[in-house]
Amino acid sequence: MAVINKNILTEIISRSFFIVFLLISVVTHSQSVTETSSIEEGKNLFESQGCKGCHSLGTIRKTGPGLYGVFERWDNDEAKLIRYIQNPADPEFGIVAMPAHPLPDNQIRSILMYINSYEPPVVSAEDNVVMEKTEDESLSYELILLIATVVLILLILLLTSVKNSLKESVSENTETIFQTIRRLVTVNPNKLILGFILLIFVLRIVYDTLMGVGVVEKYEPAQPIQFSHKVHAGDNQIDCNYCHTSARHSKTASIPSANLCMNCHTYINEGPISGTKEIQKIYDAVGFDPETRTYIDGYEQKPIEWIRVHQLPDLAYFNHSQHVSVANLECQQCHGNVQEKGLGAVATSEELNQIEFNIKDGVKFDHPTLTMGWCIDCHRQKTVDMENNDYYMEMHSKLIEKHGKEAFSVETIGGLECGKCHY
Amino acid sequence: MIENKKYWKGIAQLNDDPVVKKLEENEFVDKLPIDKLFEENDLSTGNTSRRDFLKFLGFTTAAASLAACEAPINKVIPYVNKPEEIVPGVANYYASTIYDGHDFASVLVKTREGRPIKIESNNTCANARVQSSVLSLYDSSRLRSPMISKVESNWDSVDKDIIKKLDEIKENGGKIAILTSTIISPTIYNLIDNFKNKYGNVVHVQKDSVSSDGILDANLDYFGIRKIPTYNFEKAEIIVSFGADFLGNFPGNTDYAKQYVEGRNPKNKKMSKHYQVESNLTLTGSNADHRIQIKPSEQAGLLSQLYRYITKKSTTIDSRISTIGKSLLESNSSIVLCNSNNKEVQLIVNAINDYLKNYDRTISIRNHTNLQQGNDQDLQNLIYEMQAGQIDALITYNINPSYILPDSDNFNKAMSNVGLTISTSKYMDETSINMDYICPDSHNLESWGDFVPYNGVCTLMQPTINPLFNTRQFQDSLLKWSQNSISYNDYLKDTYKNDWENKLHDGYFDVELEKVPLKQVKNKDLLIKNFPIKKNSNNIEFCVSEKISLGDGSQANNPWLQELPDPLSRATWDNYLTISEITAKELGLRNWNVSNGALNGDIVDLTLGDVTINNVPVMIQPGQAIGTVSMAIGYGRTNAGKCGNGVGLNVYPLINGGEVVIEKVEGVHEFAATQLHHTMMGRNIVKETTLDEYIKNPASGNDHDKFLTHEGKKRANEVSLWNKHDHETGHHWNLSIDLTACIGCASCVISCHAENNVPVVGKEEIRKSRDMHWLRIDRYFSSDMTKEVAKDQNASAIDMYSKMEDPSVNPEVVFQPVMCMHCNNAPCETVCPVAATTHSAEGLNHMTYNRCVGTRYCLNNCPYKVRRFNWFQYSDNDAFDFNMNDDYGKMVLNPDVVVRSRGVMEKCTMCLHKIQELKLTAKREGRKIKDEEAQTVCASACETNALVFGDVNDKNHTVHKLRKDERSYDLLDHLNVAPSVFYQTKIRNKS
Repeated sequence: MAVINKNILTEIISRSFFIVFLLISVVTHSQSVTETSSIEEGKNLFESQGCKGCHSLGTIRKTGPGLYGVFERWDNDEAKLIRYIQNPADPEFGIVAMPAHPLPDNQIRSILMYINSYEPPVVSAEDNVVMEKTEDESLSYELILLIATVVLILLILLLTSVKNSLKESVSENTETIFQTIRRLVTVNPNKLILGFILLIFVLRIVYDTLMGVGVVEKYEPAQPIQFSHKVHAGDNQIDCNYCHTSARHSKTASIPSANLCMNCHTYINEGPISGTKEIQKIYDAVGFDPETRTYIDGYEQKPIEWIRVHQLPDLAYFNHSQHVSVANLECQQCHGNVQEKGLGAVATSEELNQIEFNIKDGVKFDHPTLTMGWCIDCHRQKTVDMENNDYYMEMHSKLIEKHGKEAFSVETIGGLECGKCHY
Repeated sequence: MIENKKYWKGIAQLNDDPVVKKLEENEFVDKLPIDKLFEENDLSTGNTSRRDFLKFLGFTTAAASLAACEAPINKVIPYVNKPEEIVPGVANYYASTIYDGHDFASVLVKTREGRPIKIESNNTCANARVQSSVLSLYDSSRLRSPMISKVESNWDSVDKDIIKKLDEIKENGGKIAILTSTIISPTIYNLIDNFKNKYGNVVHVQKDSVSSDGILDANLDYFGIRKIPTYNFEKAEIIVSFGADFLGNFPGNTDYAKQYVEGRNPKNKKMSKHYQVESNLTLTGSNADHRIQIKPSEQAGLLSQLYRYITKKSTTIDSRISTIGKSLLESNSSIVLCNSNNKEVQLIVNAINDYLKNYDRTISIRNHTNLQQGNDQDLQNLIYEMQAGQIDALITYNINPSYILPDSDNFNKAMSNVGLTISTSKYMDETSINMDYICPDSHNLESWGDFVPYNGVCTLMQPTINPLFNTRQFQDSLLKWSQNSISYNDYLKDTYKNDWENKLHDGYFDVELEKVPLKQVKNKDLLIKNFPIKKNSNNIEFCVSEKISLGDGSQANNPWLQELPDPLSRATWDNYLTISEITAKELGLRNWNVSNGALNGDIVDLTLGDVTINNVPVMIQPGQAIGTVSMAIGYGRTNAGKCGNGVGLNVYPLINGGEVVIEKVEGVHEFAATQLHHTMMGRNIVKETTLDEYIKNPASGNDHDKFLTHEGKKRANEVSLWNKHDHETGHHWNLSIDLTACIGCASCVISCHAENNVPVVGKEEIRKSRDMHWLRIDRYFSSDMTKEVAKDQNASAIDMYSKMEDPSVNPEVVFQPVMCMHCNNAPCETVCPVAATTHSAEGLNHMTYNRCVGTRYCLNNCPYKVRRFNWFQYSDNDAFDFNMNDDYGKMVLNPDVVVRSRGVMEKCTMCLHKIQELKLTAKREGRKIKDEEAQTVCASACETNALVFGDVNDKNHTVHKLRKDERSYDLLDHLNVAPSVFYQTKIRNKS
């Protein structure tokens, strides 16, 4: 009896997996972009018409902005975008023009299709949810799991009733699901196996919980001002270093002081998202009257109390200038695509693995951001540019002599030594 | 059959005892009494067992640590208006000056985000007290607002009151007295003059805590100028000091240590010869080539005899100083100086120097120092006038007369006759507490100022922080009371308006030399009195001493200084009567060690004239002359603040010295000393040789231990089991310590304290040998017993070693700074079970606090005992109520160095954070590290250049050359731990 039942169980499980697999593949398939022949044409045009010289398909800014997400930036108004590409000098647009590209509409449409077809390497549906912070049409992982579970339970119920009716027909004793489970559990060898599986399950949960301690990925606390990095660094292309002034010179990148905000906001008192409401908070801090555009005399200034996003414990030393000025890293390599985000948030290492600079540097993170393993991941993989810095000159020639190779990771020059960050 | 066989566990089981039956049925007879625990309110009477307690403890600890996993929400608050010069995370340096009436130094102040956190020297020596003054800035015991009759008030009402009263005094023709320490600021003199012009009858009296009247008055008689000369020790071939502690505490000694050591560089094959004739062992005496012990009363007679011998008026000379006389006559240049406060004695010293033609060669009265100009007679007159009620107002500045005057009761009584008393003290000190108005002065680091410490040199003081409290600097108060509306800042700018920015930037500049019209005394011999040498009596003579840590006691509330071990006795948090072992034996006085090694001592009553100081602890001090005792001033403060109150005893009442009566009383005093042994026990810890030997063979005295191997005798590093680290490709940081140049001044210790957030642990913990100093200066006395002597005397090994423990009566002293040696074959690294201490490619031994679990294995395995364990949480702990338990005191912490928590090991990092910072700067600028650019704070604080730090792989660096020098050796080199710190043999100029 037991043998038959076991067979049935395995069959049920394998079948239900198959169904779930089908389900998932349908879902993911529906996501993929429909390909048409003009994408190929678009690619050729993109390269031949010189678009490539000024624009990247991703987020990197060359002479012009990166084209990833260009449609959202143009409110999905394709007609307007085509008009712009054909004649950017048109007063309709009122922004700094690129050279005119008087191509027929269909060709530009092909280019746009090609641009649209570009996906940042291996972006999964899940990551898009995180990055965009908008509800995507695709199903989330949790939802798929939930559906799969429901389907599985339904299958079990169905099969149990089939089994019971079969048993009834041969006049054997029927049993409910719970009775089956109980019977299976009471059999000794199964108990052991079950116990073992349970143990592994519990250990895994404990391990995951412990490994999650101190992991602050996606941490995005509410801030006193609904600041948007997207508006500043993304749409308006302000260099990160303009506000985070000391990143090049000091260990801290520094939160900009309110007087720095006032460099622009003396003139700009209305933002695209929250109007005057959030900018008024800067004025409240420094004591500025936007009506008269003057500072209020004798105003008691109130500092803005931001919530710290990246919290480095006291026991670890980190220096921004080392990474920004010496290693010439881009901010995005550790902080993700900040120019597409609102408030400051901790990037996930999955997100960082999509960053083009990291791919270019051959850096792939296996550990959650802001953990020591994450630092080490990069220090193991990143090559130090020794050739363009006189500091390394002597060291480099000695290293070449010793190891017989040219490229050295941060690790080879002591980047993994405890005392480099802990003192 | 076998199955039927039954074994019993005991007789009870055989007898079917019901207890056994019950136990068989149920292993745990009683339920865990958890419910009872919660029933009982009082745990001590409850049923809770120790095991339950531990269970709950474990549970709560686990729960608490799980709860702590949640990251706290921290705020980050940027400036509203960021000052242009501040980059968060980058230090700014400002040139300034520290002068408190006793110590002077031109300094560089390191500030972080507007907080001064460290004082470094700017072309002059910054001694331990000057370096510590940054902590005194953050002293929460400072007065926080002006006070009227001890009630907090505000500046407006205080000024209004004072001006009204001063005007009244002026109208009534009353007299106003301003009592200050020595003023070396030209603008303060001007301000006092303005004040005099405003109020007419004003007298300005200056008084130093340790009077230099004798030398000042002697110079007045001899040269017609009441100033102390400056000395150039570099040029002197022979230095003879009668008690003058010119390396420790002597007026104008900011550069003396540097010059002294430069004149004693064995590389030149020439060293000055230094004789010290003194009764208590001073820092200077411990560095002398020859030290002669005398009683204080013999000083005048010996000098007199030396004078007559040198001027060939007589040929008799005391055998103790006959070599001095001869070598002075033979030498081309010399310096004779003396600490006596007797004009007649100082006149003899002047005459000797004059005869030896030292003036304008090694001694300059023209380039005199302005430090210490106090006049005791003026003060005495002032006190008489006060007693007679002739003084209507008294203003004090930078002086605490009720503490520093021997007859302070007399002063207090006299002060009660004064109608208006105004103190400008920073503290509610012994004097201020009896005064009507307190107008607290700002700290040096919060003030403006100008100083002329030496003729021809001016230094500026600029604030590096806004006043922390509602204080105002004395100069501004004077301006206000003179009813002048200008601020002192503008006043000062106006005075030095030419090139003001550059002067402020440099901190010091040359000013026109004040022309000194030297009086030509026709027959100088008439000035010289003859002193006979006193017959040796059995009376015990007393003289005061001054510690390098506390000095005159004005910074007594500074825990760094209180915990700084005295270089000679190595005791902290104390002053005590130092006595020679022989005298102690005669009086039946003892020092002994208790079971944990800590030092205890007998207690005596000390009577000098009609003053008795009760319960004085006795410390047996090798080098103290027989029949003399000595004790340090600066202790026994009653109104210094929480750290300084009640530490030690006040011996200012005995400052003039004399014969004392010592009476042993019941009781035991507990000392807190950081070094409990006196001698090297015949080991080669400090290697030394003489100049003559060195000239013959530069490697003399630098013998290396050798081991017998199958290939013959070899040095330890030739038979190493260790794999070598690769230190060739990058930097290899080394520190050289020249034991000839180290004078034991301990400014490196305080510098390290300030830079590395080293906690203060207090007297009790020091007594348990739990001091936290990363850098210690070991002091060793020579012993009469050596291995050679033992061989000659045929002494047994036990005899030899037990006698080796005793230092000589007049020992030679060596100082040896010891910090983490950063061994390249580190014993600590191999035993750490969690790899918390690891080796770097740059030859440094890293200590990772967050990895350390506190097994203390490394400490046990460290041959140099330089690792320090955090037995407690020293910050934010009321049991350690020092600067780290104080919101103000914490502001001095260096944000680049972690504040260590309880249970972790710590040690010298070789200022790793500074190295990293320097490397980063070089990388950012795309250049190599320049020579001498890398510095640890101990090396940069060392004015005598005894400590030299750098990259030994850099062929041009001094440290590379020093490593190769014949004098260099590794401490305990037979262990082959290959330290990155190495020493240079000590060389004495002995014949």
